[in-house]
Amino acid sequence: MGETILKWLAAFIVCLILQTTLIPSIAIFSIQPDLIIMVFAFMCMRHGVMPGIFIGFFLGLSLDLYSPSMLGQNALAKTVIGFFLGFFNEKVMRTDTIMKIIILLISFFIHDIIFFGAELIKNGSSIIPLIPDLFTRTLPRAVYTIIVTFIVILWNTTIKPNLKR
Amino acid sequence: MYWIIQFIIRHKDVSSLFLTVFLSLLMLTANTGRQQKIARSLTVSIFYPFQFTAHQATRIKNIFAENKKLKEEITNLSTKYALLEEVAAENKRLRGLLGFEKKISYTLLPARAVVREPSYIYRSIVISIGKKQGVSKYMPVVNKDGVIGKITQVMQNISLVQLVRDPSERISVMIKKNHEVGILETIDSKNFFVQYRKHAEVNNGDTIVTSGLGGIYPKGLNVGIVTGIKDSDDPLFKDVSIKPCVDFEHIEEVFVMQLDPQWAAFLSELDSINIE
Repeated sequence: MGETILKWLAAFIVCLILQTTLIPSIAIFSIQPDLIIMVFAFMCMRHGVMPGIFIGFFLGLSLDLYSPSMLGQNALAKTVIGFFLGFFNEKVMRTDTIMKIIILLISFFIHDIIFFGAELIKNGSSIIPLIPDLFTRTLPRAVYTIIVTFIVILWNTTIKPNLKR
Repeated sequence: MYWIIQFIIRHKDVSSLFLTVFLSLLMLTANTGRQQKIARSLTVSIFYPFQFTAHQATRIKNIFAENKKLKEEITNLSTKYALLEEVAAENKRLRGLLGFEKKISYTLLPARAVVREPSYIYRSIVISIGKKQGVSKYMPVVNKDGVIGKITQVMQNISLVQLVRDPSERISVMIKKNHEVGILETIDSKNFFVQYRKHAEVNNGDTIVTSGLGGIYPKGLNVGIVTGIKDSDDPLFKDVSIKPCVDFEHIEEVFVMQLDPQWAAFLSELDSINIE
């Protein structure tokens, strides 16, 4: 149990460091893959709803600590997607790669609707400008993340075992 | 009471969701207080050493090209500097003759952006200098293109910069050619606008600079260019869209202007109001 927690904690810290340092250098037209959501999705699908909610909350909160004005914004978004992703727990439901990609795509949309919705509502403005943003910001980011995820899965399932042999 | 506990135990997933969502909303609606500041200081201090190391690793690959480019820039700038020194001396002499008061003077402290907020639209950065190097709260931060933001937290060797694109940041600006003053705002960290009176003379391509009225940013720093003008919901005003001069996606080298805010004498009173 303790080992699992430490493993995921280390994974999140590494992702956080990469997200703020190396990832901006592989951005395409300012679109970057979101490693944090990627690893968080893997974690939720492995461990279920309850860890998804609480780790989502604390992970989001730690991300919020960087932002000077919107404490709670990431926490809210990550808690809700943690709840959503936890339903697809591998111990309860078997999902193939295509299904996982679709779930990840939906999570990005839920995350960004809550994330930007909260910001717009807090600033007292309409949430209508959010709709085009979902296609110009969220979709490319989700697709880029899914490509990176696919490479990671491919590495873990095909290339790495062959290298060991 | 018993049945509430029973309900929570039976529906622990939903109860946990409600609890965490409630806490998130509570934080979203709360004012920034001392607790948040301490928590942020701790986080930035804990993550900073790791991020700084990783950042240095990425920098090494570009260091040779950067070095060559910088040498060229130094040559160019030295020539310009020599010319400017001459102009400054002349300016000083003429000002003395006209009896003008001395302009605000400041030192530029060079720094590097070492950490960005992990969100993909980041509204704050951490820079590599802090209290030890003479940085203090509310100092303006600029780069060669224009205004980046202001210092909101200072630690020993690092500082947190709130970017201009943070929706809570509003800057007093003016049109460079006719000194028409307005407030620069953004609601989505992407589109910037200033509301001007209907009859104000504003055209596409006009340069927007800081007005010096907010007390933090000195007058005349580049902010952006007018890219569009449209009618506002209020019949007395028009909305002027601004494209910022600074490319917020690629902030690397920055300068902190060692300049106290004009209201520095009331700083402690203002901070105590904020905490309450």
